[in-house]
Amino acid sequence: MAAAEFARAASPFEVFGLETAYALDKEALRRRLLRFSRLVHPDFFATQGDEARRLAEQLSAALNRAHEILANDASRADWIVRHLGGPDESSERAMPQAFLMEVLEWNEALEAARAAPVGSPERATIERLAGELESRRRALFEGIARQLAPLPAEKSAPLAALRKELNAARYLDKTLAEIAALRVTQALSQ
Amino acid sequence: MGFIELTVLNNTARQAAIGIDLGTTNSLGALWKDGRPIVLHPEGGNGYVPSAIYFGDDGSIVVGREARDRALIDPEHALFSIKRFMGRGLKDVAQDAKSVPCPLGENPNGVIEFEMRGKKYTPQELSALILLKVHDIACRTLGGHETTKVVITVPAYFDDAQRSATRDAARLAGLDVLRIVNEPTAASLAYGLDQKKQGTVAVFDLGGGTFDVSLLSIEEGVFRVLSTHGDTHLGGDDLDHLLVQAAMEDLSRTIPATTLRDRGFQQLLRLAAEKCKIELSTAPEAGMHVHLPEAALHWRRRFTREEFEQLAAPVIERAIDACRKALADAKLELTAIDEVVLVGGATRIPLVRRRVEEFFGRKPHTELNPDEVVALGAAVQAHVLTGGTRDILLMDVTPLSLGMETLGGAVAKVILRNSTIPCSATEGFTTYADNQTGIDFHVVQGERELARDCRTLGRFKLSGIPPLPAGMARVAVKFHIDANGLLTVSAKEEITGATARIEVTPMNGLTDGEVEGMLKESYVHARADFDASRLSNLKVEVGTMLRATEHGLREYKSALDKETVRDLDDSMASVRAALELSDVTALQKARDVFERATLPLAAVMMDNVAKRALTGKRLDEV
Repeated sequence: MAAAEFARAASPFEVFGLETAYALDKEALRRRLLRFSRLVHPDFFATQGDEARRLAEQLSAALNRAHEILANDASRADWIVRHLGGPDESSERAMPQAFLMEVLEWNEALEAARAAPVGSPERATIERLAGELESRRRALFEGIARQLAPLPAEKSAPLAALRKELNAARYLDKTLAEIAALRVTQALSQ
Repeated sequence: MGFIELTVLNNTARQAAIGIDLGTTNSLGALWKDGRPIVLHPEGGNGYVPSAIYFGDDGSIVVGREARDRALIDPEHALFSIKRFMGRGLKDVAQDAKSVPCPLGENPNGVIEFEMRGKKYTPQELSALILLKVHDIACRTLGGHETTKVVITVPAYFDDAQRSATRDAARLAGLDVLRIVNEPTAASLAYGLDQKKQGTVAVFDLGGGTFDVSLLSIEEGVFRVLSTHGDTHLGGDDLDHLLVQAAMEDLSRTIPATTLRDRGFQQLLRLAAEKCKIELSTAPEAGMHVHLPEAALHWRRRFTREEFEQLAAPVIERAIDACRKALADAKLELTAIDEVVLVGGATRIPLVRRRVEEFFGRKPHTELNPDEVVALGAAVQAHVLTGGTRDILLMDVTPLSLGMETLGGAVAKVILRNSTIPCSATEGFTTYADNQTGIDFHVVQGERELARDCRTLGRFKLSGIPPLPAGMARVAVKFHIDANGLLTVSAKEEITGATARIEVTPMNGLTDGEVEGMLKESYVHARADFDASRLSNLKVEVGTMLRATEHGLREYKSALDKETVRDLDDSMASVRAALELSDVTALQKARDVFERATLPLAAVMMDNVAKRALTGKRLDEV
């Protein structure tokens, strides 16, 4: 791919020379990132002219951005759903019905843990909660992977369902990040 | 023998670049030579340039060791720890401002100004003087073959304003910055190369004034930063300060408060505290002495290591907290860390080593000198950047999230912290009134939810949007963080394709016009001072070369042809004549001619050195 074309390529899969698919060999992706970085990183153009340096910056930024999208399951699925003309998170904000019930329970447990003093039994429950959320997340993405292989047709109904599941995934990630932050503050005050 | 080293360096055709560790308390230069990085230290010194500046009553400015010495006698005219003021405003530095002996002001863009002997200096200009000093020493070690190319290190946790200030300091010093590199990352390069490491490495960097922790994965020569955290106001200086405070408590009972607050006395206390702290790293107890004959004061107190550790523990825990956060950000468990590397002078403190070992559950690496490893890593990166190798690649991250203020004062994140750089993001804007031709936006850096709690990078004014009905214009604003961690912003109206103009008002930063103005004024002045020091250094260097050549000729004259000997005699005569003239350019020229004339002799000498080395003697014993 020519340099300018590469920088413009809208598809992160194209940037990495991969077929558009949810299933991904992460090891291979990492190896490609390292190999491509060796070709375009600005460090190797530092003593060259402004134009070469600017291009290296652009190419490297495009590569890093594409890697960021592909390396994360949620952002990779999100990109595919958009790419196929499915709804984005502002036009489809709902989460799957069954999931909503669980969310209520998790929110309660998290609130209780947050309000409880450090070192109390309520605090210890966040570890259990984290484990539960992690396994729920794994199950969710296994489902997403099944629905994305083979890729649904453009603008088809399954895309709206997938968006709802990705909304659920966003909720899980946000909650897990909050738990991680709680853990750090817990460790800090010990 | 310096002479042979110089000749070897000349054989490398590629223009070298110097790696510079611009530190809070000390600065140091290093260079890639003969397949490895070396610290540059001429004249048998250790090469450190104390980051101190002294302003003489005759208008002269002295930098480094001499400035630190003069500060003991005349502390009112000396400045230290300039790095703490880089890219900051007055309200950020209230604590540090207390130890500044001169009036402090702020220019309209919030750049701090130190007023010394009737002149104002920004931290950028003062750092430029330190950079010039390090550069000068490095170039002397290079044998007068000037290179203006440098790689400068900064704390990983430095924000955009602090990085910009560092880049501007280099511009003011007339240096060409190939790259701004993060200190812990640079250190990992030096270690990785030395130890041929693979795997996940934690770099714990506690320097004079700043703390960073970076987690990296090293794989086939690619050093990839996974996350970084830190505190740009946590370092060895803070530990000295704790001892000073303990001493002041003691002293307040015996001496008047005016003496206690006297800057000269405070400086004495700081030096005594630093010495005591360093001794406590190797001894179970150490004395802190303050001797002030004019006040008939001779105070001493012994500190045990245990006492010191009790004082220091809370400070060190703050560093450990940052390690926890870096691990959480990288989504790594402690068990994933294969190696731990200690960097920075303050990691010599036994308590620091113990806590790091306890926390990470493994013995940290301390093989390389913690004061030199950052400069050495910068030299490795300089080697890569000048095309020396493609086997090493550094992929770093941006330490802080970048965002824009939205209606209501919240922050919309545009680039998340720990994103690999270079990186870019594009945000769409539209107009809210008919025929609106401009949009203002406020760019901030930090993790807090409200813009007012983050650091302002600048206010951007977008203009030149074509007149369209409200909501019709589509302005794409592109944010790009480059490989130096520096932000640039550009904008384009997508419907008409008009390139919108962006005006940036930097916060706590210099504008390009200001940098140019300063270059015209103060830098010329500083350069004159450096010419003077350069002349005296050249004289010393030429003297050494003359002695070495005379010595070489006595032993090896028979191995040289007549023409070579005649060239040598001629050039030696010219150099001796130029020495009398005291003209720096003439002497430099004569020196270069002389050096070329010595090449055949050097070759003969090198042959012999090699022969002796092969028979088991080390080069530096020859």
